[in-house]
Amino acid sequence: MAYKIKSTSVLKELMRDYFQRIGQREKPLAWCTSVGPAELLRSFGFEVYFPENHGALLGATRTAGSNIPAAMKCGYSGDICSYTTSDIGAFLNQSTPLKTQYGLDGIPRPDLLVYNTNQCREVEDWFHFYADRFNCSIAGIHPPRHLHSIRAAEIELVTAQFKRILPLCEQISGQKFDLDAFREVLQLSSEATLLWQQVLRTAMASPAPLSFFDGTIHMGPIVVLRGTVEAKTYYAELLQELQENIAAGRGFLQQESCRLFWEGMPIWGKLRALSDLFVQNDAAVVASTYCNSWIFDAFNEKEPFESSARAYTEIFINRSEQAKFTMLQKWIEDYRIDGVIFHDAKTCFNNSNARFGMPLRLKNKLGIPSITIDGDLCDLRFYSEGQSITKIETFIEQIQNQKSFI
Amino acid sequence: MKIEKHKTSSPHFLGVDLGSAFTKFTVCDAGGKIVHQNLIKTLNIRSRSLKDSVERIYGQFSIKSCCATGYGRSKFEPAQIIKTEINCAAEACLALRPKEKCIIDIGGEDIKIIHCDEAGKVESFYLNSKCAAGTGAFLSEIAERAEIDLTQMSVLAEQSASEREINSFCTVFAKTEIMGWLFDDVPQQDIARGIYAAIINRVNSLRIDSAGPVFLIGGVAANHPFFNNLLRKSLGKEVFVPQKSEFIVSFGAALMAKKYDDKTKRD
Repeated sequence: MAYKIKSTSVLKELMRDYFQRIGQREKPLAWCTSVGPAELLRSFGFEVYFPENHGALLGATRTAGSNIPAAMKCGYSGDICSYTTSDIGAFLNQSTPLKTQYGLDGIPRPDLLVYNTNQCREVEDWFHFYADRFNCSIAGIHPPRHLHSIRAAEIELVTAQFKRILPLCEQISGQKFDLDAFREVLQLSSEATLLWQQVLRTAMASPAPLSFFDGTIHMGPIVVLRGTVEAKTYYAELLQELQENIAAGRGFLQQESCRLFWEGMPIWGKLRALSDLFVQNDAAVVASTYCNSWIFDAFNEKEPFESSARAYTEIFINRSEQAKFTMLQKWIEDYRIDGVIFHDAKTCFNNSNARFGMPLRLKNKLGIPSITIDGDLCDLRFYSEGQSITKIETFIEQIQNQKSFI
Repeated sequence: MKIEKHKTSSPHFLGVDLGSAFTKFTVCDAGGKIVHQNLIKTLNIRSRSLKDSVERIYGQFSIKSCCATGYGRSKFEPAQIIKTEINCAAEACLALRPKEKCIIDIGGEDIKIIHCDEAGKVESFYLNSKCAAGTGAFLSEIAERAEIDLTQMSVLAEQSASEREINSFCTVFAKTEIMGWLFDDVPQQDIARGIYAAIINRVNSLRIDSAGPVFLIGGVAANHPFFNNLLRKSLGKEVFVPQKSEFIVSFGAALMAKKYDDKTKRD
């Protein structure tokens, strides 16, 4: 019988409820970047909407391609983040899967826009587009970028930036800042993120009960609902199911000929096809930098500002090549990885990590082979399917041959 | 595809390379000796020519197993196993020279650089997936724009001492560049050489760091000896061009089919 994660039905309900709450507009709505200060915004009673999640939805529903040209006509290059261009294009075309999938009227109007450039500069430009369109207030966190280690001065700087947006949040939400409320939301977020971490770590087992491709679906709540009870409850339930599957020896691939790591963005419009391709070749893609990007284990409700500053600054995408190497090495060891697939996303320079010698360093220092797939998160014009399948199948054969040789 | 199997006593093994431009067939005997090779244009999987070739081969030889490779590999029904062309190329070159080497395979739409270890296993590889610059398609498109007969291109280029090169990687823009050359009355010999030089530049931008020699295979190597010499000079190392280099991948596939048969017998 085909392997299925039963909690997926709960996930669908959770996501539907979340979007319907946004559509009902009972609370003021803040837009936030996916690794932005969502907890702080929730502590003010904002409902929080994440345009990157919408970008992923446009990619997964393969509607990005019909929307990107509208953004290009508006002056945005087709070479910049295709989340940005597909989202702006969808707004201009008044065409969004949020209507058909969740019954919303369209992209929800923001009351406040808050971004964090810890991942890239595009989010700042992206949010400013909407600030202009909606004549809406906007604030940003601008942490130092590409850090090797995180020092006290950097935490102090980012903490001050967090605090600087408090008056604007008070003004828009009509609520005074409540430290206890912030602590409470942060604690919920911390609990959910640690549960998510445990969920991902179930894939250390063999057979693994969760693939990278499953992870890209089940990460929904940790992106859009962190800081809520629902997210925490959901991951506790999912974790229990996956642990039961491990105990019963059930995995998405019963015989793993090799265990692979996906580095970089998902190719949203090809998730199913790629998942099937790996499974057909008995290759288990068990871990990724992407799904691990929503583990914020530095959160500490006793120091809510400082720990938020640290958690959102120390993420993989915001680190130096050396720090990224160390993080990758740990994942490769923990998940017993045989090979790495680098997705070089044409429009996501910041989350494409094969461009500064990382594949060769992994090979030379750890003996880990890798391939680089050219593609994109949303814009499928940059993805050549035939060539990519040949690369992936050759890579799997290469690892299988090497393993049988040993 | 319905196949009537022939009943000769000695077993044979078929490798089929369904490439973007041509489909290549190689039949080997149990000792790995090539006993048949033919090539047809790749049309579609139900084409008469493909069916005819398959029927002829199965009629003539007792095919014990078949391995399909190339971009159409998953669609070829008679195959018992499917392998990528990269692994088939490595398998074939291992039979030709069982040592560390770098294989450069220039096909219709791609360039593959394959590094093989001493045991002939694929250690790493490169395959273009952004554009088809520097491939067989690039060569034939530009040559057509310059009105150069592909069969005469190598001979023409040999007569040139020009250092002119096409700058553009993009096939379409390269044609525009060639238009400028034509307007400037650049001799065809120099244009032919310039086209080859563009492909050499493309290959030179890829990592070729194997300590062993280079094996140059694929359709371009088979039909353009001047290009092969230019590459030798450019790389400054040994470049072997096996005979009938366009069949090397299908030869590797035939060897894979034999391996598969041996394994099935063992199991």
